[in-house]
Amino acid sequence: MRGVARVGVYAPLLRLDCAAAARALKFSGLAGRRDGYRAVGGWDEDAFTFAVEAARGGAAALDTLIFASTSAPFFERLHATLAVDALGLPRETRTRDVAGSRRCAVSALLDALLARGSALIAAGERRPARPGAAAHLAQGDGGAAAWVADEAPARFIGWASLSYDLVDTYASREHPEPYPAEERFVKEGAAAHVLVPTIRRALESAGLSGGDIHHVAAPEPVAGLWRDISRATKISAPNHASEISAKLGDLGAAHALFAFALATARAKPGERILLTGFGSGCDALVFETTGSMPGAELAEAALNEGALLADYVRFLSLNGALDLDWGVRSEFEQKAQATVLDRYGRDTLGFIGGRDCAGNVQFPKSRIPVRPDADGPEAMQDVRLADEPARIVSVTADRLNYTPDPPFWFGLAQFNNGARVMMEFTDADARGFSVGDRVAMRLRIKSHDRRRGFRTYFWKAAPAERPTLGG
Amino acid sequence: MASGIKDKVAIIGMGCTAFGEHWDKGPEDLIVDAFEQALADSGVARSDIQAAWMGNALDDINVGNSALPLAHALRLKTIPVSRVENMCATGTEALRAAVYAVAAGAVDFALALGVEKLKDTGYGGLPLRTKGLANDLWLPYGSAPGSFAQLAGAYTAKHRLNGDDLKRAMAHVSWKSHQNAAKNPRAHLRKAVDMDTILKAPMIADPLGLYDCCGVSDGAACAIVTTPDIARGLGVANPVTVKAVQLSASHGWEMSYGAWDGSYVLNTREAARRAYAEAGVKEARKELSLTEVHDCFSITELVTMEDLGLSDEGCAPADILAGRYDSDGTQPCQIDGGLKCFGHPVGASGLRMAFEIYTQLLGRAGERQLAAPRLGLTHNLGGAPFNSVAAVSIFGRLH
Repeated sequence: MRGVARVGVYAPLLRLDCAAAARALKFSGLAGRRDGYRAVGGWDEDAFTFAVEAARGGAAALDTLIFASTSAPFFERLHATLAVDALGLPRETRTRDVAGSRRCAVSALLDALLARGSALIAAGERRPARPGAAAHLAQGDGGAAAWVADEAPARFIGWASLSYDLVDTYASREHPEPYPAEERFVKEGAAAHVLVPTIRRALESAGLSGGDIHHVAAPEPVAGLWRDISRATKISAPNHASEISAKLGDLGAAHALFAFALATARAKPGERILLTGFGSGCDALVFETTGSMPGAELAEAALNEGALLADYVRFLSLNGALDLDWGVRSEFEQKAQATVLDRYGRDTLGFIGGRDCAGNVQFPKSRIPVRPDADGPEAMQDVRLADEPARIVSVTADRLNYTPDPPFWFGLAQFNNGARVMMEFTDADARGFSVGDRVAMRLRIKSHDRRRGFRTYFWKAAPAERPTLGG
Repeated sequence: MASGIKDKVAIIGMGCTAFGEHWDKGPEDLIVDAFEQALADSGVARSDIQAAWMGNALDDINVGNSALPLAHALRLKTIPVSRVENMCATGTEALRAAVYAVAAGAVDFALALGVEKLKDTGYGGLPLRTKGLANDLWLPYGSAPGSFAQLAGAYTAKHRLNGDDLKRAMAHVSWKSHQNAAKNPRAHLRKAVDMDTILKAPMIADPLGLYDCCGVSDGAACAIVTTPDIARGLGVANPVTVKAVQLSASHGWEMSYGAWDGSYVLNTREAARRAYAEAGVKEARKELSLTEVHDCFSITELVTMEDLGLSDEGCAPADILAGRYDSDGTQPCQIDGGLKCFGHPVGASGLRMAFEIYTQLLGRAGERQLAAPRLGLTHNLGGAPFNSVAAVSIFGRLH
């Protein structure tokens, strides 16, 4: 039966200690979050990289790929198409981006469930906000994904939709940061006019009552809202979205899919999950699990791993809320050429190297292989390095070179399949990197041309294991 | 069968400006100052120069592209002039071209001049030069210290060293160069620095601190070359001759093939092997009186001592700490202060190294003159350890 066949999640390494942020803001008297953590993306991450990271590990081919975000870096350049290359999927995959509401990922999932063929919905979010605004600490950065197929361990058994322009918050080109409405109004209106009626209809559609639901993945536009909805709908099951808000922050378009992944990780076969997407209306979907969900185990881990960030100024800088003057070293040209992207973009975005006639793997590909006994041009077979483990051959922390989050780590990575690549390292913990360390590849921003508003992406080597938060 | 260039070319005149922050001089001034010294030293007329090569590494930010800045500055009247560029090995490339032209019999007198004017760009180090090309899509924008610092980590891992021990040996490299440069009036940094200051300096790229790194400078150096026969005709009975000039360049093996351990520079080893063969050097540790190596970073000099075969593998730190390469050691290295303290105007550095060997061989080095040097070696390295161009040259007297 049609449903969700696989899930994926991604949270960046850093977790802002919101108590530390509150202390830094104490002088201002501004109210805001005073406890819990907020997932903070590195300088080289954005909504697209989060979505791709969440969407790794799926099938080698599918019919449709949908990228969902309200904070996508490009207005005109399809992220879903970039994701096809980044994930090494066939170019024949149909692609589209959805946006306009935090609900967009759930809406896309609903559309895919109601349509035919296999689909991947990959959501990522890195929303701007001004320091001092409640949203700045309430929001979090991250991604989540769901794969739709005809045979699936989470069977799709009911749904309902509602279009309703309840302006709890908005962002526009003229005002990119979210502008919230009065919280009490949102709490009452969202529950009474939007979420409760839609959830009731979804339950009816599945032939269930509130007590039949075992797990909930319902992002709350206002903290504590689920209690009211729970009372009204008689659903007493835990809402996993609230735990994500506390540990990672509100992940926007990715939040519901992240919560759904967590719900599937915790659900036993035969249990039912309610998934809702809220924003300019609501979509409510009901699923019944039949077995273990591929990818779900990562959701639990993602909640509890990470590195604590207690430096509020660094957070502001990483978050783009503080524009430091990095001096003349930061003044260099980063323009990307469209012709070069056309020739090499797919290989760099997908980290595709080549295997020569003797079996040696190299990156990038070349007409004449790097193999010492190669004696002329050879045909090369594509080899994806993004999923290949590697070890560090040489490394340094470069403090001279400009990077928005010093130091600049780079060095030689030796892949298990024989390839060797000079590359940037990312997600350094307090120990940094050493020769011999095991590393895994992460898709990151390679260059950010702020003058022209363009960015390129490539893979960087990160520690193979993440630290446990507080460990 | 190629016979090499040993003793086919004589250096009859050299010049070198002081290196440093020449706020009051442009590229033209540096070119003219170096050339006029060399011309006066050679005894030939300006009009005798039949071909010229200009070495300049960073054309886009200082001197300007092509060799026309050289032709204009020296008013070289319609003779062939060419610009060569091979990163930090550019100076030796210019010399190599001039030497080959004379050895081939194409010209009687050739000029090699290296020049770099970096201090108009407002900061130390070298600028990033990305142009949106294919490599920019994946290669890290690493700095030079970052690229060379990786030698240290790989060297430490390979030889199972304590990082502190390596750090002390590296510090000694820089300490020695500062000591030597204090006696060199042309040097950029003439202040002796104590070991404690070096060891406690701010980190630039782990484990390279500030004093492990050479800066960059403005400057020019120049050589006029001819045949030994013509030199004799000019009254130079026993000229300084070129015994070898060899170059080795990466082809991707270190960076893209799995066999290199990151702890040495392949091209230095290759270029040295060929240079020793060309010059007929059998035992470099005994035959070479002095070396001028590419000490862009202290770790580079340390590793180079092994790559040139002067120290056994894994033994350079001990040799360095024992003073083997100090001014009063058995095989002085960087007697002029090296890149670290003489300075590093990139395109001029290879010729500056040759200038010091030439000066020492002719007994003109004043306070820093070594006793009866016989053969001197220069090692000029461009790029990074994982993607380099290494030039090794050997100079001596004809007889």
